[in-house]
Amino acid sequence: MRYLLSLLLLSFFISSCAKSTLEDPHQIVIWHQMRPDERTVLKEVLDKYMAANPGIKVTALYKETEELRSGFQIAAIGGAGPDIVYGPSDQVGPFQVMEIILPLDTLFSKEYLSRFNPKALVYSHGRLYQIADKIGNHLMLIYNKALLPNPPKTMDQLIAIGEKFTHAPSNYGLVWNYTEPYFFIPFLTGYGGWVMDSLGNPTLDTPAMVAALKFMMELRDKYKIIPKSCDYETADALFKEGKAPMIINGPWSFGDYKKAGINFGVTRIPFIKETGLWPAPMVSPVGFSINASVPQWKIPEIVKLIKYLLSPEVQLEYTRHFDTIPTLESLYSDPVVRNNPIVKESENQMEVGRPMPIIPELRAVWDAMRPSYQAVLGGTESPEQAARQMQKSAVEKIKEMNE
Amino acid sequence: MAFNRNKMTQPQERKTRFFDSESLSPNTFAYILMIPAAIVMFGVVVYPFFYNVVLSFSNMSLRHFRDWHLIGFRQYIEVFRGQVFYTVFLKTLVWTFVNIFFHVTIGVSLALVLNRKLFGKAALRTLLILPWAIPQVIVALTWRSMFNYEYGAINLFIARYLQMAPVEWLGKPLEAFSACIITNIWLGFPFMMTIALGGLQSIPQELYEAADIDGASAWQKFWSVTYPLLKPVMIPAITLGIIWTFNNVNIIWLVSNGGEPSDQTHILVSYVYKAAFNLYRYGYAAALSMVIFAILLIFSLVFLKRTKASEAAY
Repeated sequence: MRYLLSLLLLSFFISSCAKSTLEDPHQIVIWHQMRPDERTVLKEVLDKYMAANPGIKVTALYKETEELRSGFQIAAIGGAGPDIVYGPSDQVGPFQVMEIILPLDTLFSKEYLSRFNPKALVYSHGRLYQIADKIGNHLMLIYNKALLPNPPKTMDQLIAIGEKFTHAPSNYGLVWNYTEPYFFIPFLTGYGGWVMDSLGNPTLDTPAMVAALKFMMELRDKYKIIPKSCDYETADALFKEGKAPMIINGPWSFGDYKKAGINFGVTRIPFIKETGLWPAPMVSPVGFSINASVPQWKIPEIVKLIKYLLSPEVQLEYTRHFDTIPTLESLYSDPVVRNNPIVKESENQMEVGRPMPIIPELRAVWDAMRPSYQAVLGGTESPEQAARQMQKSAVEKIKEMNE
Repeated sequence: MAFNRNKMTQPQERKTRFFDSESLSPNTFAYILMIPAAIVMFGVVVYPFFYNVVLSFSNMSLRHFRDWHLIGFRQYIEVFRGQVFYTVFLKTLVWTFVNIFFHVTIGVSLALVLNRKLFGKAALRTLLILPWAIPQVIVALTWRSMFNYEYGAINLFIARYLQMAPVEWLGKPLEAFSACIITNIWLGFPFMMTIALGGLQSIPQELYEAADIDGASAWQKFWSVTYPLLKPVMIPAITLGIIWTFNNVNIIWLVSNGGEPSDQTHILVSYVYKAAFNLYRYGYAAALSMVIFAILLIFSLVFLKRTKASEAAY
């Protein structure tokens, strides 16, 4: 028995001495949530970096957005995880509260940061926590030029066009993933609503919420221009197969539509005359943060790599392939960006968008919105009931989350 | 020279002693063989389990992520105070027992069929095991698209061949929950079938012959020979099946897309997952998972004892 105990102890001693990759001076690990086509570009640029910097190995690991978020939290408890996390700005909120990412304002000079579009610098409680290489990442109206040469400018036009194209159940005027409240935000803002006030208190039980929910239901049940039920995959398939001329989706889908051979254009989600407002999608940057557990001596190497990944060449590479909006202001006059009609229209939509709040409370708001929102779609709650229920549930969830 | 020889032979002696199993007591040698497995088990089961116990008594959450401390039974009180626990628990029971009922009924029936002389038996058996061989994620997502309201195979079938109105499978709570159950039944019966088939093949043929001589009907043979001899094989399998089904987060999560609609399709484990990773309530989620553990532990002990599964059949 003594043998056993001592061997067990020894093995634990050995395993606890095993270094995490954070301690490895020759390796930098990035966790990211890029799509497969983006990953090929990432791999190319990283290969170039490694060729120019012998002795440094950069490992890029793909994690699905949610898995990245939960996995990074768990790894961080043990002082491990990647050196760099790459993802949408809303993960900055919880990571900052948990103190698992580093403030960046002392690591990058003011002069360097001044080269970026201010929307690309993600601050929380007065400190910089993320620098983005892409901004926007917002919803817009994508239309199939072969079916619809002139996209609608107003909701009335959209409904008229929609009615012309709809032949249920095979063809619909407009599709989008309407089971997910994120895709509902342009409608909410189009009726003058928003998810929270400046202090982070939810603002869901409002006339705007009720009006927006009613409008959505009308699109489905009165004008019948959207399918009876439609998740992301269904919407995507209908648009790709040419069975719907318009879809509300984000820049992450461009690559896929190109591959499917669709000649598409993008434009703003149509104007709502009734309120005099443009529907405003949530706008969020996607970028890099540094793990708070990286040893001090490794930081210069990590900063060097991040600067490379934010460099004009790399950003242009993404724009060229995926029509994303770069973050270095000097690039806005570059022909690759200036002559790209999709980037131009995407920027045009971004102008009326609203920055996605990055505070952790947004999580609770989504969680509170989703059930009632789906209940309205399922016909088990009225828009008024749903708005009340969302607000109540959001307040409760925020309280639970912050206990 | 003598000094040298002494120096040379000593390490060898020690070496032979260490590896000579005869000089060790049989138990010690067995322990040494168990060490690699013990280390792995300690790392992936024992340590996380006790860490979870500690977390369940802590206030670890978004605001107390690094500076968490122990707060006694508060999280457990929170678990039992909320209405959610009871409704989700009830759903979990329905989920588990409906699933297991169909797994066992379908599994045993198919095993009885396959245990006879049958044309193309090998091919049939392979086909029937197939659901079990496909990765769960793929099964779940395939079924999810088959349940689609307008384009799913199931509604197309219902509308075309049964002349009934299409069902809104994923949009309404009861329907979505049924969709999850149907998927899991499809996924689970091959396991019970395989076990039952193994059990059936080990029943001595003489017993059936004796029953024939006594003039027993097929039904009597089933209840007097097959059932009692199959029981000791099936009880452990059913126990395992119940534990697996009770804890099966994959199917619920993927088919209903994380509890949709309206968080009405959760079972306890998917609810724990949501509490931990959506709202960062680690302490609460740990306490809830300890409650789940206790439920399953008590259930398994009582069930195994009542059914006398560990006793010999013959």
